[in-house]
Amino acid sequence: MSCPFALLGFPRRPLLSDEAIGSAYRKLAGESHPDQSDGDAERFRELSEAAAILRDSSLRLRMLSSSPGGSLLPLEAAQLFPQIATLLQQADNLIEKQATASNALAKAVLAAPLKNLRHDLESTLNQLQEWRTSLDRELIEIDLRWPEHDPNSMSLLADSYAYAGRWESQLKERKLTLDCF
Amino acid sequence: MIAGIDLGTTNSLIGVYESGFPTLLADSEGKRLIPSVVFYPETGTPVVGREGLRMQALHPERTVSSVKRLIGRRFGEEETNKLNGPKGNPVTLPVNGQNLTPEQVSAEILKRLKAVAEERLGTTVDRAVITVPAYFNDAQRAATRRAGELAGFVVERILSEPTAAALAYGLDRLQENARVAVYDLGGGTFDLSILRLDNGVFQVLSTHGDTRLGGDDLDEAIAGLLLREAGITTLTPEMKVRLKEAARASKELLSNEESTIVLLPFMEGSTSLEIPLTRTQIESACGPIIARTRAHCLRALEDAGLKSEELDQLILVGGSTRMPLVQRLAAEIFGKQPNLSQHPDEAVALGAVLQGAILEGSLQNVALLDVTPLSLGIETFGGLMNVIIPRNTTIPAKAGEMFTNAVAGQSGMKIIVLQGERELAGDNWTLGSFEIPFPPSPKGTARVGVQFSIDADGILQVLARDTPTGSEKIVEIQSAVEVSDEAVEAMLAGSLEHAFEDMDARVFTEARLKAEEMLPAVEVALEQLGSELLASEVLEIHGKSSEVQAALESKETVRLKQALAALDNATQTLATKLLEKAMG
Repeated sequence: MSCPFALLGFPRRPLLSDEAIGSAYRKLAGESHPDQSDGDAERFRELSEAAAILRDSSLRLRMLSSSPGGSLLPLEAAQLFPQIATLLQQADNLIEKQATASNALAKAVLAAPLKNLRHDLESTLNQLQEWRTSLDRELIEIDLRWPEHDPNSMSLLADSYAYAGRWESQLKERKLTLDCF
Repeated sequence: MIAGIDLGTTNSLIGVYESGFPTLLADSEGKRLIPSVVFYPETGTPVVGREGLRMQALHPERTVSSVKRLIGRRFGEEETNKLNGPKGNPVTLPVNGQNLTPEQVSAEILKRLKAVAEERLGTTVDRAVITVPAYFNDAQRAATRRAGELAGFVVERILSEPTAAALAYGLDRLQENARVAVYDLGGGTFDLSILRLDNGVFQVLSTHGDTRLGGDDLDEAIAGLLLREAGITTLTPEMKVRLKEAARASKELLSNEESTIVLLPFMEGSTSLEIPLTRTQIESACGPIIARTRAHCLRALEDAGLKSEELDQLILVGGSTRMPLVQRLAAEIFGKQPNLSQHPDEAVALGAVLQGAILEGSLQNVALLDVTPLSLGIETFGGLMNVIIPRNTTIPAKAGEMFTNAVAGQSGMKIIVLQGERELAGDNWTLGSFEIPFPPSPKGTARVGVQFSIDADGILQVLARDTPTGSEKIVEIQSAVEVSDEAVEAMLAGSLEHAFEDMDARVFTEARLKAEEMLPAVEVALEQLGSELLASEVLEIHGKSSEVQAALESKETVRLKQALAALDNATQTLATKLLEKAMG
């Protein structure tokens, strides 16, 4: 596959805004969509895949880094992991119970634990948000010094984004489920 | 010429692109909305539309309505609970002694639309874009496509309804750059799609929905309300149809009026019923159903990575969005006033016409970038779902996966293809399975690449490539939805024989599960709050829960159900107090 940066007409750099990616993608993908008389299905698909890669900070950084990554667990991830794993397990357990509770008493018994769970989810999501903000700052730093860079810290940053993104979506999914009971 | 068709749960429409404008076509009575109702006379051709609707009250057993809710479904799914058939098999409807598939019934509606268009235009109309709910899965989309083919159309595209509506909305605003949410609550289904409009490009960012949530459910709720108000307990099928009609009519009336009197002449023998009904009453009956749309709205926003204040427009389409309650709730969820500029019944059909015009090249510099609503994956060893193409991926899309032999000389491997968002394979929809053959080779050396592609209709195709030879072939997916008639009949016979003995066992199991949930809950509740109850209350609760325990051991279904009801009753105050404490 061709380089995602080149496909969408961007220089190879760590920092790229979602808005810029979306805008370039829509213009090019609109022109090559197979429904158009001069469309090109293969190019359209490549553009879609390229945009999906560039939009994901973790995948985008891996495209720029020669180091394979994954060899070191980011410190923050190592610290957060036990907390998040426990929380997810608790959440699934309670959500399952609430969803199958068939009478008023069983639901009432769950009210207090669910309230605590919601609180824990919110505070952990805040923690993740803070972590992400610090990752964004680091990304700006790397971009300022670009193309000079340390491949190890690049791949560590890529991994950090991957953990933060995955955990955020897992926790948010549980929180959404709670919000909609 | 490519026609655009909105094949709706309640009504259907057809239109074409004529001299630069999308036009919806009317039948000989001048009506554009054709009721999606098919009446099967004892002999002769099926009757579709308003005539079919008129026959429904007289012959409910020979009339099919809301067939869209059954298309691409199997017996045993929630939607099919009123039909009998072997679990897991494609749904069929018994009409006039024959078993009809939902595709066949839908094809009758499509044939009627085709005839309306041909009569109006004086020419053959045999190519079509047909819309489906965005949240339709692969089986439902493929079945809709088959219905189109049965009706004699070349189906040029299966198009998602909210995307079509967005196209109708955006046509006059091609220069704009905006983020819009389309809230589409139709007769049987709900979709929420978020799109970015940017210089003629319509990019769907995310979509969520429920293919079992719509005006039909609201009518049912209102019919239930009417029954309670009138104190009727038993209903003939004919009465049911009339009651549902009355419910629908009062729902529509109460969208504009505050109160009405529902008249049901000769409902019970010679008695006519007059039931006063207010908008407040139907709103409290429909509220919980409409509230179910909230979760989908929030998930779609989350998937699009947007906050509701970042949306420029909230567009409402679908007949059910005429209800003031729906408009209020949508406004509340998104924190903005809805845009009601689109005709709720016609926007989707107009969008389908426009997509037809794009495909035939009459409408240029407009492109729709749609997404697949559900993740596509395969079942892994441990019974988990391994996602291969995640939901909200722009289509057409492709993804490859490499498979190898786990033991030497393994001749092949069975791959189960799934669609859905759950982690456990079994919780998702099984699209079907296929077998990939391995050439004889040592462990881990056979290499077969499998390519999954989702086409512009949102329908899956699988291609297997043997890596050493490079030979490719299309893999037939053994769909669980296409089983032979004989197999259906064999399973049907079996399931009827077992139906009765299963019944009591199932009721007992349900009651047992409830008891197992209830008994520990009582203990926890008493531990936390027992001191705040009167000693006599605590004593009563203890008594009732020992009776549940005893009934459970006796394995008597009726006794257990009665004991549970008594315990439920005795613990009501306790439940309320507990809730107050938690929320306080």
